[in-house]
Amino acid sequence: MRKIATLLLSAGLVASATTAIASSPKEDLEKFRAYFEQKFPGLQLDDFGNGAYALDADKRMQWEAMEEFPPYDEFVDKGREIWEKPFKNGKSFADCFGKDPSKVRVRYPHWDAKTKQVVTLEGDINKCLKENGEKPFKWKKGPIAWLSAFFGYEARGQKINVVIPDDPDAIKAYEHGKHFFYAKRGQLNMACADCHVKYPGHFIRGNLLSPALGQVTHFPVYRAKWAKKSKDGDGLGTLHRRYGGCNKQVRARPFKAQSKVYRDLEFFHQYMSNGLTINAPGYRE
Amino acid sequence: MMKKTIISVGLALLIAGCSASQPEKPMSLKEQYEAALARTQAAVEKAASMEGEWRDIRWKKSKKRYLPKAIEAAKAGDYEKALKLLSIAEFQAEMGYKQAMAEKNAGPHLYGL
Ligand code: HEC
Repeated sequence: MRKIATLLLSAGLVASATTAIASSPKEDLEKFRAYFEQKFPGLQLDDFGNGAYALDADKRMQWEAMEEFPPYDEFVDKGREIWEKPFKNGKSFADCFGKDPSKVRVRYPHWDAKTKQVVTLEGDINKCLKENGEKPFKWKKGPIAWLSAFFGYEARGQKINVVIPDDPDAIKAYEHGKHFFYAKRGQLNMACADCHVKYPGHFIRGNLLSPALGQVTHFPVYRAKWAKKSKDGDGLGTLHRRYGGCNKQVRARPFKAQSKVYRDLEFFHQYMSNGLTINAPGYRE
Repeated sequence: MMKKTIISVGLALLIAGCSASQPEKPMSLKEQYEAALARTQAAVEKAASMEGEWRDIRWKKSKKRYLPKAIEAAKAGDYEKALKLLSIAEFQAEMGYKQAMAEKNAGPHLYGL
């Protein structure tokens, strides 16, 4: 009898432990936001979109000076040219995305019920090219980042609004991304959440860590570090390029840009910034 | 009857013991390498299946790339070097898998969220 009681008891414990994990996206979002608001009580919600610059006055001044003559402008212009240039078949991106480029960014990422997967803006850019007989862009930088930055620029001022539909497969993708975000990995045994939930505001090897809340509003991002590495000063890179960099840092093998892992991660990560204002592209060190 | 069984069991043990302690031909370095390679490759796939693979095992842009470099060393005939590199790769693969298993229930609750 006692055995049965302990069995039941432990089953109960297991059940309560799992219910602690299985919270709805909405509950996750509320707790996530409340956590950051408590951690940084001086910041307004949209300040989080300025990343590390919201946390350090000196860095912020340098950054604001930089944003006055932003080095990404010429690449946003290139993105606009790509948008306007017709394909060989006479069609153009507007045939895939609609005529108004300012309405594009806010639709991504989203769940596609037919293919049962997370669809990203970059994914649809290349899909559009392929469907029109054009060669797809490389995933992480160059034309795909220019066009994506143009969409972001046109959408400035609108709010991130990712919808997680009440569909078990969509929830599964969301949970997958969420787990990826919170699981420690790599030889350094660190999770995204260690650096961007637990320790934002602290320095790590000379870098001020940004809070995860608001991290996606300014992507694609123009990074001085990436500009230095390129031949023509093009520092623009996509969100998945950044994911790869952050995985490498902890000595985990990065996943491919637009892999299922990173798309699911983006689904969770962008959803957590719902309601924040798009300010893409942004400048970062 | 009883005695016979004891003897035959004893004999069997003796034979088994002998054949176990008597080393068959020692494994050549090449054979050791082949066994270690198969083990390592399996361990890496296992870690990868849990999204737990570490950076320096075989990723093409890693400077270390222990696994492909072990294969290169073996091709050049340096099995000792190959075995050393494989032992690192195998260890890292096993650790990556263990880490992923340990992180199975990772979630916001661990961060007070
Ligand atoms: C070892 C610490 C560390 C880990 C773990 C880590 N990052 Fe980062 N991350 C950084 C640093 C340092 C920067 C650059 C400074 C900053 O903006 O936070 C950065 C920057 C970023 C940025 C750009 C922020 C901006 O304002 O442009 C994003 C997005 C990001 N990380 C996402 C992630 C994700 C997702 C993960 C997990 C896959 C992750 N990071 C894991 C250290 C880390």
